[in-house]
Amino acid sequence: METVYKWLKNLATGAPDWALLGVAMLVAIGFLLAVFPGVFAFITWAERKGLGRIQNRMGPNRVGPVGLFQPIADGLKILTKEDIVPRRADGFVHFLAPVVAVVPALLALVVVPVGAGLVAVNLNIGILFAFAVSTASVLALFMAGWASRNKFSLLGAMRAVAQVVSYEVPTVLSAVVVLMVVGSLSTLDIVESQRGWFGWHVFKPWGAIGFFLFTCGALAEAGRTPFDIPEAESEIVAGYHTEYSGFKFALFQMGEYLASLAMMSIGVTMFLGGYLGPGSGPGVLGTLISMGWFFAKLLAMIAVVIWIRGTWPRLRVDQLLAFAWRFLLPLSLINIVAAGLWHFIPSKPVGWGVSAALLAASCWVLTRLNGRAYIEKRSYRLTS
Amino acid sequence: MNAAFWILAAITVAGAVLAVSQRNLVHCLLALVLFFLGIAGHYFLLRAEFLAAVQILIYIGAVAVLILFAIMLTRNVTGTEIPREILGGKWWTGAATAAIIAGLLAWAIRADRTTATPSGAAVLVRELGLTLMKDWAVPLEILAVLLTAALIGAVVIALEEPPHPNPLPRRGEGTPRPLGERPAAPSSAQTGEGKSGGAA
Amino acid sequence: MTIPLHHYLLLSAVLFAVGLCGALTRRNAIIVLMAIEVMFNSAILNLIVFWQYRGFAAPTPQMIAIFAIAIAAAESTVGLALVIAVYRHYKSVNVEEFTALKG
Repeated sequence: METVYKWLKNLATGAPDWALLGVAMLVAIGFLLAVFPGVFAFITWAERKGLGRIQNRMGPNRVGPVGLFQPIADGLKILTKEDIVPRRADGFVHFLAPVVAVVPALLALVVVPVGAGLVAVNLNIGILFAFAVSTASVLALFMAGWASRNKFSLLGAMRAVAQVVSYEVPTVLSAVVVLMVVGSLSTLDIVESQRGWFGWHVFKPWGAIGFFLFTCGALAEAGRTPFDIPEAESEIVAGYHTEYSGFKFALFQMGEYLASLAMMSIGVTMFLGGYLGPGSGPGVLGTLISMGWFFAKLLAMIAVVIWIRGTWPRLRVDQLLAFAWRFLLPLSLINIVAAGLWHFIPSKPVGWGVSAALLAASCWVLTRLNGRAYIEKRSYRLTS
Repeated sequence: MNAAFWILAAITVAGAVLAVSQRNLVHCLLALVLFFLGIAGHYFLLRAEFLAAVQILIYIGAVAVLILFAIMLTRNVTGTEIPREILGGKWWTGAATAAIIAGLLAWAIRADRTTATPSGAAVLVRELGLTLMKDWAVPLEILAVLLTAALIGAVVIALEEPPHPNPLPRRGEGTPRPLGERPAAPSSAQTGEGKSGGAA
Repeated sequence: MTIPLHHYLLLSAVLFAVGLCGALTRRNAIIVLMAIEVMFNSAILNLIVFWQYRGFAAPTPQMIAIFAIAIAAAESTVGLALVIAVYRHYKSVNVEEFTALKG
């Protein structure tokens, strides 16, 4: 927003200040509201096509070339569906839950820099604000499950809440590592600290593990496979959005996809270098190239997430929680120690070696501790 | 930023009033969340941004969910969910006390008309972190111990125990039996425990 | 034109009174705990208002506020655990039914 404001000031020097600020705010908000739901619509098409090709079928190809207008057809269909509200449902809370699901995701996108200097609000506490508002989406799950007055909805909501709350801790701890090394909570500072060849945080040992932790946490918080217990077909009816139909259901889907987009954008900002890449710099052309780099990285992450959805089975709910508390949490704590060692050991190669060795050893130890005991706990009762 | 203050003040007061006056527990909780959001907005206005983010993170992200779980675990599974009266007996004493205290505070505030203006200063998070680690390191460690103790304590208190052989009587059922005698109605105690255990 | 100090102080006083009224009059123990949270927040708001309007050199009031928020969260955790434990015995959260210690 500040970049737009400065550009407008250069353009229209006579206009009053509040008008320029208002126009800059509208441009920033309009950009966010237009681009990211547009990316969401694109993802729905890309996911169905990608999943179709992974599953050896074509995917949508009737509506428009290569099925590109499928999101529009989906949107029209779901808008014209009847909005069924159960009679005993708590009307006010039932109505409010999809809204509370969507708004935190949009708020978290406010601090993401999509280009060189192009961030909606450059908060001093950027990353903390993004995490704070995404924890507010937990309420939406519970409100949806409670207001439906349906035991299955409530059970599904409890499981979804347990999943989201469990995965918040490793996610935030993996972000803490980046904040420790960068020394600032502002997203622009975090991206600027990744300048240079192989300067992205993912190329450092704590950054690679941190990126893995953050991606696991982001997938789990958004409810994507392999953590999509709430919306799996074989699970408890449809989880917390059983009693929703029509536009409210579409809002839930949009909230889930926007939450995953917001988390992936924050992951790109913190680990993959944000808008940095060859050719991104100040100036109009540099800004456009930096925007291109950001969206290219975001689309690459989306492609990987769709790929994961198509190929991996989903975890059972107790496996899911055990994965969070017994594997990801100790690994994130050891990651913090490793980052400290990397930062403070005076000689660089020794620092790299020590932290990489510590992380590799802890991964191996945690895998050994978690794998065998858990698999042997199952027992099959066969009918005689 | 006058308009922002008045709008936020209206939201905050509305949230607080609704939170203590609604009949439905979940509506009370949603009003409380609105109240927390209003307070966070005030912190943003007062240039305490870190505190505003911490408020949203802790209160809306954690305390509200905690209260939701408590509401869910203490539902009256049989009979009506919402009691007939929401106010206790002799509720006017509580209301009178609150009114007197409000009057006293308002009188004390009115009596002081110092012209203090906001300095507009904001503290950088870096400075907060340095202060926390250097001057306030010991309180930080004590806070960590306190949070751990609260966590363990809450788990121990809320842990389900096997049913007591002589449960406390409900109001109006007579004096509790001394320990050592046989329980009068073990079946009802068992099913009561089982029901709340099933709902938990 | 900035907001005068006493407007903020009146706001936090009103919020405190509302919370106090709720804590003293409602029958449901969980709503009493919610009202206590309202009182906590109004007090911490008061603290931050004085920090902004009096110009402290060190960020001491913000530190106090951070610790107060953490302690309030811990207190509400233990309070709700107590309510759950009491519910198991009395099968209700009506504060007027908790009369075992009555003289």
